[in-house]
Amino acid sequence: MVAAEATGPVAEEELGDPSVVVDDLHVTYRLYGGRRHVADDDASRLARLVSRSRNHLGGVTEVHAVRGVSFVARHGEAIGIIGRNGSGKSTLLRAVAGLLPPASGAVYVAGRTALLGVSAALMKDLTGERNIMLGGLALGLSPQQVRARFDDVVEFAGIGDSVHLPMSSYSSGMGARLRFAISASAAPDILMIDEALATGDAEFRARSQDKIDEIREQAGTVFLVSHSDATVRAMCGRALWVDKGRLVRDGPVDEVCDAYKRSAKPRRPPAR
Amino acid sequence: MTHSSQATAAVGDGDGVDAAALAARYGLHRVGTRPSLRTYLRQMWERRHFIAALASSNAYSRNQNNYLGQLWAILNPLFLAGVYLLVFGVLLGTRGGVDNYVGFLTVGIFMFTFASTSLMSGAKSITSNIGMVRALHFPRAALPVAAVLAELATVLPALAVLLGILLATGERPTWSWLAFVPALLLLYVFSTGAAFVAARLVVGSRDLLNLIPLALRLARYVSGVFFSIQHYTGDNPLGLLLEYQPLAVYLSLVRSCLLAEVPQSALLWGFGAGWALLFAIGGFLLFWQREESYGRG
Repeated sequence: MVAAEATGPVAEEELGDPSVVVDDLHVTYRLYGGRRHVADDDASRLARLVSRSRNHLGGVTEVHAVRGVSFVARHGEAIGIIGRNGSGKSTLLRAVAGLLPPASGAVYVAGRTALLGVSAALMKDLTGERNIMLGGLALGLSPQQVRARFDDVVEFAGIGDSVHLPMSSYSSGMGARLRFAISASAAPDILMIDEALATGDAEFRARSQDKIDEIREQAGTVFLVSHSDATVRAMCGRALWVDKGRLVRDGPVDEVCDAYKRSAKPRRPPAR
Repeated sequence: MTHSSQATAAVGDGDGVDAAALAARYGLHRVGTRPSLRTYLRQMWERRHFIAALASSNAYSRNQNNYLGQLWAILNPLFLAGVYLLVFGVLLGTRGGVDNYVGFLTVGIFMFTFASTSLMSGAKSITSNIGMVRALHFPRAALPVAAVLAELATVLPALAVLLGILLATGERPTWSWLAFVPALLLLYVFSTGAAFVAARLVVGSRDLLNLIPLALRLARYVSGVFFSIQHYTGDNPLGLLLEYQPLAVYLSLVRSCLLAEVPQSALLWGFGAGWALLFAIGGFLLFWQREESYGRG
C-alpha cells in the first residue's frame, strides 16, 4: 500500500512520475556500548546486579528505528522530513538511500541516490584538493569527471587558495561548504541532505537553495532532514513528520509544519 | 499525538496500488538488496580508482602529522629490525641452522608484519569506516581491499630497506631475486582474502577484534619469524603442519627468493598459490554474502 498523492503548493506545480516508493519500511540497526535500562524496583538485589552488569557485558542494543513507513515521492519534489531528535529521521533517510538494509518492507528508487554525507569519506589531514578527488570518486565519479568539475567545486565552496591546505585548517563553515560542494558535484537524481545546512552563512544558504532548485528542475528529487521547521518551510514543498519511527503526517509543508509546531510545545497555552 | 492514527490510516489505505507494481510501472529499482556476483565484480572494477585513492590517502595521511613525515615509512621498519636483532640474535640466540641470521630475521619480520597489519586493518575496515558505509554507495569489499592495499603501499619503502640490509649481510643479487615480486604478490592476495574473512566476522561479532591480536601473536611465534621451523621441529606431523600453514609458507617462499642458503621449491610455490587462491575466492564470496547488511553495524 502506498500513500495517496500529495496535495498542496508543490502538487500544483507540474509533478512528474514517482521517483521513490517506500512500502511499509522497517529498519533496525545495532548500537554498541550500552543497553537500555529496564527500571524494575521490585526485582531482587541479585536480579538488579545482574541487570546492571549486563550494561557492561552485553552492551549492544537492537534499535527498531523505523516502524512501518510508506510514501511515494515524485520527480521534481523537495520533501522535508521533520521530527524531534532521535525520532528516526536520519535512519529513514539512510534506508531510502539504500545504505541501511530494510528489516522488512521495501524501497524502490529511480536512478542514483546520494546522501550529502561525503564528509565520511574525507580525511582532515589531506588537502582540500585531494579531498575533492577522494570525495568525487567516493560518490562514483570517474577521475576525469572530478577534474572537469574541480574548478566549479572550488568556486561553489568559495574556499579559494585554501584548497591547497589540509582540511584540518579549515573553519567549520569552510569545511561544510566544501562538503556540500563535493556532494552536489555528483548531480544525483535523488539528493538527500541531513541537517547539513545548519552550518554556513546566509550567502551559502542561498547558494544551497539554488542548488536544490537546480536539481529539482532537472526532474530530481530532494530530501531534507531537519528538526528546524523554518529550514524545511524555506526549502521544501512537502513535508513528512516522523515520530518514534512512524510517519505521523504527510502533506503540504505549511500544514505539516504547523501541526509539528503545535505538538512540539504541548505545555504552553495557545497564544491569543 | 492526535493526528497519529488518522495519518497512518491515510497512508496505509492509500489508493490500493501495490507498491511493487507501481515501482515496476515507472521503472524504479529496489535498493538495499545484495547485487548478483557478476554485478558486484563489475562494481568493484568500476570503483578501482576510488579504491586506489582511498588506499593511497590512507597510507599517506598516516605519517603526515609529524616533522619527518613520509621518512617514517623507512625509519620504522629499520628500528623494528634493530630491536628484534638485539632480542633474538644477540640476547636469545635462536639462530640454529641459519647462516645469514640477520637476513633471515629481517625478511621474516618485514613479511610477517605486512601480513599481520594487513589482517588487522582489514578486520577493522568496515567497523572503523561505518560512517562511510552509512553515507555512500559503493561495493563494501572496496574497504578491506583498500585497507590491505594501503598496507602494501606502506611496506614498499620498507622493502628498499630490506634489500639494503640483505646486501650489507653479504647476499648478492641473483635471478631468483626477481621471483620476490610474484612471491610478495601471492602474500598480498592471501592477505586480502584473509581480510575479507576477518572483516565479515568482525561485523558479525566485534568481540573478535580482541582475539585477532592474540591469534596474530601466536602466529608470530609459530610461523618461523625468528627461527627455522625445520631446524627445531624436524619432520614430525606437527612440524609439517607448522611448515605448510599459510604464513610459514610465505615466509619460506620469500626467503627462498632472497637468501642464497634457502633453496627454491616447487612445493612451496604450489602451496603459496593455493592458499592465496583459496582465501581470495572463498573470502570474497563469504564477504559478498553479507553485502547488504554491513550498514547495520
